[in-house]
Amino acid sequence: MTTNDLVERLGLKLLSKSEHRAVDGVFISDMVSDVMAGAKSGNLWLTVQTHKSIVPAANLVDVSAIVITSGKTVPQETVDLASKYNIIILSAQLPTFELISKLYGSGLLNK
Amino acid sequence: MEINKIREALEANVIEGSYGLDASVEHIYASDLMSDVLAFGKPCSILLTGLASRQAVISAHMAEFKGVVFIRGKRPKDGAEKFARDNHLVLLSSDLDMFDACIRIDSAMKGVHIDLPTVKLPQKSDEILLKHEFYIEGSNFANAGMVSTEIKSILKKIGLDPKLVRRVAISTYEGEMNVVMHAKRARVRLGVTPKLIEIEINDEGKGIPDVELAMQEGFTTATEEMRAMGFGSGMGLPNIKRNSDSLNIKSEVGVGTTLKMTFLI
Repeated sequence: MTTNDLVERLGLKLLSKSEHRAVDGVFISDMVSDVMAGAKSGNLWLTVQTHKSIVPAANLVDVSAIVITSGKTVPQETVDLASKYNIIILSAQLPTFELISKLYGSGLLNK
Repeated sequence: MEINKIREALEANVIEGSYGLDASVEHIYASDLMSDVLAFGKPCSILLTGLASRQAVISAHMAEFKGVVFIRGKRPKDGAEKFARDNHLVLLSSDLDMFDACIRIDSAMKGVHIDLPTVKLPQKSDEILLKHEFYIEGSNFANAGMVSTEIKSILKKIGLDPKLVRRVAISTYEGEMNVVMHAKRARVRLGVTPKLIEIEINDEGKGIPDVELAMQEGFTTATEEMRAMGFGSGMGLPNIKRNSDSLNIKSEVGVGTTLKMTFLI
């Protein structure tokens, strides 16, 4: 699965100016310290945090993309910082649990 | 869905409220942000969260939830149980991470049996959480301190103890100033594992002829000009030693110096 599949098949919106990349696993947390401790390189990171501090965290653990769930508005400075570091930010209207349900049901996780 | 079915799906332990396991919930809400729980959580939900605190239980109660599942093996230690008992909430603890917990509940809701491997948190102490490389230019006083500032902001952002971050920042800054004052250039490596932070400053320069002497407080080879700027008072290396948990110096005259400092988390 690539981040592009998430856009085309699940209707997520690409907010940052970044290149699509492959997704390897999913990590869900709204606590940056948890992400630093538990997320692995290539993970898709689902969160409702929109503060720009998510970008350095995503960059440091090398997640494949940040998915902001629940249709939260992402501040422009977060998007700009993400574009600068080539971090993908995707936006989903669904809350985290419902998005995982849809993602799992789509079969994309095994691709 | 019955809470006990959720408990089974998550292989969760009951922390509190075993009498309430046969209650039913209508929604699952997965978040660590309690403001979101309060803003968007629907009544008759169960909260999945990594926030192991009484605050999570209080928020769930305010939002009319039936219970809370602490994920990634977390357990609150601040009286959350008592609050849950008094207010008839069920508290569960599961070793799964949020993603697996969501999938398991989703599958259980749809009546699908899945056999996902239980994901344990990485506990290997030597696992590298982050790695970074920076470069310092010698004699560039205009940029002096930029690398340590960057390192400090990285460590701060990952949520390390501010006192620890301060020690790392001070030591790195002293090391960086030494490079600016005495060396041609240096490479700085930052490495963080769950147990420690390591900073290595590897410079090309004139080297230190007598490391033991250089370690003495007040010993300096800085020029008057450098001292006029407030540096070079001979406190650099001793200050690093004081602030770090271990300091290793290797130096070769005419080649360069490598400082390796370690800070325990």
